[in-house]
Amino acid sequence: MGGQACVLYGAAEFSRDLDLALLPDPTNLDRLEAALAELEAEVIAIPPLSLKHLEDGLAVHFRCKQPEVAGLRIDLMTNMRGVAPFPELWARRTTFEFDDETLEAMALPDLVAAKKTQRDKDWPMIRRLVDVNYLNHSDEPTPEQIFFWLRELRSPELLVEAVGAHTDVAAQLTRERPLLKLATAANLANGMLGRALREEEEEVRRLDAAYWKPLREQLERLRRRSGGSRETPGT
Amino acid sequence: MIEIEDICEPEWAEWYRMTPRERWEESARLWHHYVAMGGSLDPEPDTQSPFYDPQTSSRPPVDGRPGLRVVRRSGV
Repeated sequence: MGGQACVLYGAAEFSRDLDLALLPDPTNLDRLEAALAELEAEVIAIPPLSLKHLEDGLAVHFRCKQPEVAGLRIDLMTNMRGVAPFPELWARRTTFEFDDETLEAMALPDLVAAKKTQRDKDWPMIRRLVDVNYLNHSDEPTPEQIFFWLRELRSPELLVEAVGAHTDVAAQLTRERPLLKLATAANLANGMLGRALREEEEEVRRLDAAYWKPLREQLERLRRRSGGSRETPGT
Repeated sequence: MIEIEDICEPEWAEWYRMTPRERWEESARLWHHYVAMGGSLDPEPDTQSPFYDPQTSSRPPVDGRPGLRVVRRSGV
């Protein structure tokens, strides 16, 4: 669901870790623990692996020791702000089938939703995720793609083009995304559209920070109780 | 109609045009090369992350850029 999915969708060239979304179910947790044991993965920070912490919305961080993947970081999450519950994510996942492996990734709109955080580094990724999809499919779009682009495009030039090409759908979505009304060549030129996109981003980042405030406090309590985490998970 | 090259660098345009499989294989090659060169698999300290812990945060890379670790250097 993280950097590796962004590689598949074209927005990243490389990721140093593996982020997994997990169905919070005891049987599934057993299967996960068996897989992690094969990788000799150990929890490296607070919190420890438990369904409760995952269902609370915290992430659990591992590092692998198995020689072929030594040092690889794996992060697990179950609940993410603004992202559908796991059964829905799974039902609409994207399956990439290569000759010798099958990769299951979060659907592109869900990945974009998961990336809407308070961190600077997630926003260029969101922009590229949507740009790649738009640029590769704008010739013959599906209705779902048109809705997705008009909801999520962050490159002002592409947003102006998409709104111009799909005025009916844009009109339907202006209540949901008011800045679509500003997606004109004139507002692109005078900077108004760019400012509206930045304000939209800032609002989402404020919401994410507010969502995380009690979870940060919960993490801090867990750290104090355990006498401090061994290392920072970083992301 | 806006073309890929109109909004991004040539390297990104080439990446955007690849298939998922081509990207996956190229990314795997980059990963192996990165690890072979001594690249760190640790994330950089990210003060914006909800999981950031200032008590245990590691130091940033010596050159300030992501993921480059000095594995050998002369006395200079």
